[in-house]
Amino acid sequence: MTDYSFIGKEIPRPDAPDKAAGKALYISDLVKPGMLYGKIKYSEHAHAKIKHIDTSKAEKLPGVRAVITGYNTPEIRIGFMKDNFALKKDKVRQFRDEVAAVAATDPEIAQEAVDLIKVEYEELPGVFTPEDALKEGAPLVHEVDPGGRPRKDNLIQLPWKWTEGDVERAKQESAFIVEDHYQTQRVQQTCMGTAGCIAEFDLQSNLIIYSKTQIPYLAQNDFNQALVAMGLKGKSTRVIVPYLGGSFGTGLDTHGYEYITILLAYRTGRPVKILLSRAEEFSNLSPRQPSKTHIIQGCDKEGRLTFREVNMLLDNGAYTSWGATTPTVMLMPISTLYQVPNFFYNAKIVYTNNTYCQAMRGYGNPQATWAIESNMDQLAEKAGIDALDFRMINRNLPNTESFGFKITTCGLEDCIQSVGEKLKWREKRGKQKNKARGVGMASLFHTGGGCRIYRSDGTGIIMKLDDFGNVSVATGGIEMGQGFNSALAIATAESLGVTPDKVSVVFGDTATCPWDVGTHASRGAYTSCNAAIMAAEKAREKIFNLASEHFMSRVKSVLVKKKKKDPDFQMPDFDFESPRDPSEFELKENTVFLREEPDNPLLRISLGEFLRTAHFRNQGTMIVTEAFYDPNNGMLDPKTGKGNLSATYTWGAQGAEVEVDLETGEIKILNFVSANDVGKVINKQTLMGQFYGASVMGFGYALSEEFKTDKGRNMNPNFLDYKIFSASDLDFPLHVELIETNDKEGPFGAKGVGEPGLVPTAPAIGNAIYDAIGVRIKSLPITPEKILAALKEKGKR
Amino acid sequence: MKKVIQFTLNGNEVSAELESHKMLLEVLRDTFEMTGTKEGCGQGECGTCTVIIDGVSIKSCLYPVFEVEGKSVTTIEGLVGEGGKLHPIQEAFVEKGGIQCGFCSPGMILSAKALLDETWTPSDNEIKRAISGNLCRCTGYVQIIDSIRDAATRLSNQDPK
Amino acid sequence: MKKFDYYQPESLNEAYRLMEENEGRARYIAGGTDIIWRIKQGVIKADALISLRRIRPLEGITRNGGLTLGSMALFRNIEKDSSIARDYPSLTQAVSILANPQVRNVATVGGNLCNGAPSADSVPPLMVLEAVLTIEGPGGRREVPIGNFFTGPGQSCMDRTEILTQIKIPKKVFNSGSAFLKKGRVSQDIAVVNAAAFLVMEGKICRKCRLAVGAVAPVPLRLTNIEEMVEGREIDPELLDRVGEMVERAVSPITDVRSTENWRRVMSGVLVKRAIQKAHKMVD
Repeated sequence: MTDYSFIGKEIPRPDAPDKAAGKALYISDLVKPGMLYGKIKYSEHAHAKIKHIDTSKAEKLPGVRAVITGYNTPEIRIGFMKDNFALKKDKVRQFRDEVAAVAATDPEIAQEAVDLIKVEYEELPGVFTPEDALKEGAPLVHEVDPGGRPRKDNLIQLPWKWTEGDVERAKQESAFIVEDHYQTQRVQQTCMGTAGCIAEFDLQSNLIIYSKTQIPYLAQNDFNQALVAMGLKGKSTRVIVPYLGGSFGTGLDTHGYEYITILLAYRTGRPVKILLSRAEEFSNLSPRQPSKTHIIQGCDKEGRLTFREVNMLLDNGAYTSWGATTPTVMLMPISTLYQVPNFFYNAKIVYTNNTYCQAMRGYGNPQATWAIESNMDQLAEKAGIDALDFRMINRNLPNTESFGFKITTCGLEDCIQSVGEKLKWREKRGKQKNKARGVGMASLFHTGGGCRIYRSDGTGIIMKLDDFGNVSVATGGIEMGQGFNSALAIATAESLGVTPDKVSVVFGDTATCPWDVGTHASRGAYTSCNAAIMAAEKAREKIFNLASEHFMSRVKSVLVKKKKKDPDFQMPDFDFESPRDPSEFELKENTVFLREEPDNPLLRISLGEFLRTAHFRNQGTMIVTEAFYDPNNGMLDPKTGKGNLSATYTWGAQGAEVEVDLETGEIKILNFVSANDVGKVINKQTLMGQFYGASVMGFGYALSEEFKTDKGRNMNPNFLDYKIFSASDLDFPLHVELIETNDKEGPFGAKGVGEPGLVPTAPAIGNAIYDAIGVRIKSLPITPEKILAALKEKGKR
Repeated sequence: MKKVIQFTLNGNEVSAELESHKMLLEVLRDTFEMTGTKEGCGQGECGTCTVIIDGVSIKSCLYPVFEVEGKSVTTIEGLVGEGGKLHPIQEAFVEKGGIQCGFCSPGMILSAKALLDETWTPSDNEIKRAISGNLCRCTGYVQIIDSIRDAATRLSNQDPK
Repeated sequence: MKKFDYYQPESLNEAYRLMEENEGRARYIAGGTDIIWRIKQGVIKADALISLRRIRPLEGITRNGGLTLGSMALFRNIEKDSSIARDYPSLTQAVSILANPQVRNVATVGGNLCNGAPSADSVPPLMVLEAVLTIEGPGGRREVPIGNFFTGPGQSCMDRTEILTQIKIPKKVFNSGSAFLKKGRVSQDIAVVNAAAFLVMEGKICRKCRLAVGAVAPVPLRLTNIEEMVEGREIDPELLDRVGEMVERAVSPITDVRSTENWRRVMSGVLVKRAIQKAHKMVD
């Protein structure tokens, strides 16, 4: 086991002091000279023809500098299927459709102007469930596809169908089969810092946009395409990212409001800022993809899984964004969570007049795992096998392959055992029904080594050392609160040989930071740290090459000066003349020294001093290195559907002990454990923080959060009625266990961990409730209302 | 209507001509250009706008600014001492992982201060109650509670002055 | 944000004068935590707000045998008052879990009452403690038992010129206990249902019973029929079950974004039962 100086310790984050002092600047804090404020007019209907937009009164309001609609701006198509528009023309398809926007000298005037815009609609019948949208004769949400060809129905043609083996035969050969239906709700990311951006054009019509994004380079690409649509082909976009105030997937796509800000900035010739209010954050951003899952699983007499068949129906909403691609991630647990020799997975995605969904932490995995892990407990019960033992029988093993996913390290067994131990499973499972108490568990499998969903899964790093031994690391990856900067600073320090306080991370500027596909799929620390290790190695090589030339002569001149000052000083008998080999040197704790005499104070030079020596002389040099790390993973093959999406995978298990109040249906969590194979702990403090935070987000998903809609309208766009946990809800112990499997692909053995912590939370709780009261709730959130209704049906009240 | 309002802001006497319909949050951020206090919802639900007025924690997004006349307001900026030295509560949050994205942190730290100004030995339940009006989406609260516990220890170990 | 003028009178008479001068365009404001949000939403229109914060006589909490709360008494101060905790525990229980510390530091009991939400947490305890409200206006002064105060959701028997000035609670009686319970979706929530109970016991027999339940009807409800049923009896499981059934029939909850009619109905019964049990335990 390597002895690390910083890896594995609890180290305060470098950005924490500024945030504690209130000095960190978020999009809401940024101001530019001459800046105007933008506000958006949204649709008043879920589905309607736009007959007329009257902006005359708005334009006359003093302080208004521009009023735009889809009719007086070039058409900008957005979304990966290009079926969405920055501003809507002809038709609105959901309540959050943007039909007009205003830029004014202050936000109140802008809002007043928005209220003065009158839009005449002809209402159309809408479809609000995927089932209704698929019915014969259902109104079409889109009459034509992005290519202009007429559509015949609301079904989106996406190739989400995968299979391995022979499911039908496996059904015949199974001793036990359980079939059921599971649903998950829309939930919202609820970042504390709401979304917004500032756009401005320079004199040459290049765009600079301050954006709350996780994907600065893909966003840059999107915005460049918008510039082309605006007649500005060849002009460039610079994306700058301030501190985010949380993201959780909201920043994984570009949004209508960003293009609108760009249009307003171009129209007015001034910087324009749009900041979403909390209500807009709820209603006009994109929540997590809801799901309806039909699952069938079977096993043999010994409890070994024989097959898993999953059919999903997904409500796409009115336009297509990343929600429609969640099946590519759901494929992972469906094909590979536990050893499943035969599987079939089909996901149908349907346009409706509901809000469209995009990425949220976990990206489909929580939805799929809810169904899989609830059904696993059902199957275990049918087979007469304890639910923990059932999972152990079918646990994934290291160095195996499943449907193209190459499992290398796998700590699932240890995670399951850890949960069992912490929950006192053997004592409690099935034994506390008289107290309406139960324990339950669920496992997870997620990407931990990047995720190849784009032509490149790479991250670039530029590492620059200065004359004082400070290191700045520039990266296209984004710090959104998860501890990215901290992990990168520590990995840089450890691999280079400096202390973390000497490292500053520069992020969030496409002008100066190298390309990165995006901080998503838990890939941030994994790829950037690997790139940093590569760049550090190059820097060390340069430093040691320089040392072979200059180290001893520098030592000599220091000693000669010392002798001049102090004639009594004895000059040591060093060999100053013989040529040195780079391998004779080492850099550690900001000091360059000779390996053979690590403790001799006369043979140590501080890194800063050493770099100044190299810099300030004839034909001097400075140390700047770069690296681009693109993980050894693969995209899903369009023909076979197989591909090793990630260079390594994260595993985990969670368990809950709950008590149900039989009179009210209320669920009280008594104890919760989250055990995770993290590869290697880089910063223990930030790592624990990710798992605590994810667990609590998972509790909300399981028990209290729901984005409520009524015929497409969001009914609870505020914290009063969209309930996330507060500190007073944490009245039970929350244990996080970290298991290290030392993955050889990972930086220092580490895996990505931003998302896994909320993947199995809901089924762990659902399974515990079943153990307590014999009632299984199949739709999230699990509310007291649902429990009481189920108990009543069961005749227990 | 407008009125010149005088009050104490982070220990300094200040005054400004302010409009009657403004809330304190907007005035702190725009008129006094102190952006540490945040607007997370504008509805008094999230707590990111928390400041301390005359020793008690208040949500500034719902606080009519005329009410601040003659009172003493402390924002997160007011906790930072000479030469950028962080207050012990801020230090505790930094050291114990109480900060992730940081958006809730100013409000959270001030709610903690309001509690710790009353007691240096709060129970875990008292800590949770004190921050029950401050939502956080990143941390899951565990390390925030650890930070406040640590802050209490730091404060009680301080030299009485 | 809509613009409004903001006045800060220092006496009731000054407040009346300002209200008259601003006829039709002004409202009184206490702590503001309810009203300001509704103005921001455009649900309430007000061109002027007359703050009651500087009217000193309205702030106080006085023990005078009974308890007199000034309408502008802060929830924070009510929460911290140990004599109230000792003598009127249901009130302390309600006030200490109402909203969160920041709100309790500015919100007032008078504001909570005048806001008139059926789910107001301070109301069930004040109802079972049979509070009497003093309402003052330019035309004079009147006393209104709290049960007659609410006339509909968000509506009271006051007119726009009147100000609620005092809430008077009778002297604590020996062998009495009171309790408050609340159900929300998470711990920080508007009540989905809340309830309070007040009992005077004589040995095992309940001599006096007062019950109130909130958020399950257009106004907070006193359950007088059920109180009469309980008085004169022992508090045993059979009685409590009957109470639960009767409460379910007495309430008229709705389904809304927070909860269902059915769950609220069931919860009313459960909460009233449990409030009685808790009040019983608190009897000294």
